[in-house]
Amino acid sequence: MRRLLWPIAWLGLIAAYPLVWHTAFQQRLGALVLLYAVAASAWNIVGGYAGQVSVGHVVFFGCGAYGALATYLHLGLPPIAGLPLGVLASVLIAAIVGVPTLRLSGHYFSMATIAVAELVRLIVTNTEFLGAAVGLSGPTVPRSVMDLSFTSSLPHYYLFLAVLIGTLALTWRMENSRMGYYLRAIKGSERAARSLGVAAGRYKLWAYMLSAALTAVAGSLYAIMFGFIDPDSGLGILISVKMLIMAALGGAGYLFGPLVGAAILVPLEEISNNMFGSGGRGLTFVIYGAIIMLLARFQPGGLLDLLQRRLRPRPPAAGARRAA
Amino acid sequence: MLLEARGVSMAFGSFKAVDDATIAVREGEILGLIGPNGAGKSTFFNCLTGDLTPTLGSVHFRGQDVTGLPPEARAALGIARSFQVPLTFEGMSVLDNVMIGAFLRTASTAEARDRARRVIERVGLGPFADVSASSLGTPGRKRLEIARALATEPRVLLLDEAMAGLTPTEVRQAIDLVRSIHASGITLVIVEHIMEVIITLAERVVVFHQGREIANGSPAVVTRESQVIEAYLGKRAAKAAHGATP
Repeated sequence: MRRLLWPIAWLGLIAAYPLVWHTAFQQRLGALVLLYAVAASAWNIVGGYAGQVSVGHVVFFGCGAYGALATYLHLGLPPIAGLPLGVLASVLIAAIVGVPTLRLSGHYFSMATIAVAELVRLIVTNTEFLGAAVGLSGPTVPRSVMDLSFTSSLPHYYLFLAVLIGTLALTWRMENSRMGYYLRAIKGSERAARSLGVAAGRYKLWAYMLSAALTAVAGSLYAIMFGFIDPDSGLGILISVKMLIMAALGGAGYLFGPLVGAAILVPLEEISNNMFGSGGRGLTFVIYGAIIMLLARFQPGGLLDLLQRRLRPRPPAAGARRAA
Repeated sequence: MLLEARGVSMAFGSFKAVDDATIAVREGEILGLIGPNGAGKSTFFNCLTGDLTPTLGSVHFRGQDVTGLPPEARAALGIARSFQVPLTFEGMSVLDNVMIGAFLRTASTAEARDRARRVIERVGLGPFADVSASSLGTPGRKRLEIARALATEPRVLLLDEAMAGLTPTEVRQAIDLVRSIHASGITLVIVEHIMEVIITLAERVVVFHQGREIANGSPAVVTRESQVIEAYLGKRAAKAAHGATP
């Protein structure tokens, strides 16, 4: 029971947030934190646990976003009905892209994922069916509650919270299963993992597909909340970078790392956008760049890693160390 | 035959690191693989474990051709190995490191944890089970390599210079560990630089030189062969040795 005390306390706090801080700006900010936490948590599965740093995850985000709004535009269904479609497309793309690219190691994998993402962005920019360069819009006026289009961000907040809890529950189960152990081993040393019977290629692919599916869910939710998507906001490289940095800042490979990262970076970005207007967008890039450098230099494990290293048990005795 | 290499050659470009090696490992023995630096021992070793696919020839395990199988499939069949430079999973605890091996035979986390704890006790890392593997020194890491491999419940364990970098005391402790592993019914193939280790442990040794197998037999006999002395010490030493002990 004691073990559950902290999570329940945190959950209570998060659930109470939009009621205590109830201005439109604060509620919207809260919803955005949760939304980006979902996306970054999804990235965390393959980028954090398995150590395969994808910089092309926006493709899966785009699948979800475009799936939702294309379903509305072409079929007249509520955008949420397009979510399964987006998920399916993202898993398919992950399988096709993953087989050749996951063989690459380190930076080469990252670069290949960037290439794929840019390619997809260019294709969509030139596809009339997906709105080309103009983009797609959701319902201007909600036709029913199923459109999930509200003037207040409060319903979105709780919807995103539910999805985040589901995502983290799934990740937690994976983390404590054989697959979670195997992914961490692959991150540590793929060669050693394989020598111990880990089918590294297969596990990486599964992680990639699972991660893609959850990222697509985040993409659909984004499109539903904003009601608009274009190649920049749905397939721009900055979204991939955001997922990566949020997870890395909080702690890649830690269950709550992406949430911590999102809780720090999303307010930072929103505040800078508010203070500097459209010029704030440039400032966001500067801040991200600085965070990447600081993380790489001082704390590659992220904030939760710092915390955990202070709590971890020490080796029994300094003298016994050499004897082992 | 438990593990067999038939006419294995491994070429990197025009350079033949291993040239037509045919070696059989009998069930229950300790086979030593020795030779000077660059003799092709490690390359040959990697052909046995699946880290490399030989350019020519085939590898057989318990009668099955495993030449085309990747390392993970060979591990599942019962071939385990250690790495010369330990490839520790740095971010994980010692226990978690060993659990990766244990997961090969069980999908249950609790069961893998139990099995891993037993193996950790067996190799003498008990007090270190819950510390981060990155805090271990070289001897600890070498033991951890062996523990992980043992957790996969292998039939044959291939040790790649498991004692390099250890102090004489640590070497003796490691020799005891290898003996106890052998006593539990696991066949061993050891690549080793330290002659003392080979002579005390191996029942049979194969000597490699320039990618070829130049001698094969009991350690006492092989170390007297002039070809072997020549490979290690040069022609003059070989002549001198034979002059001294005709």
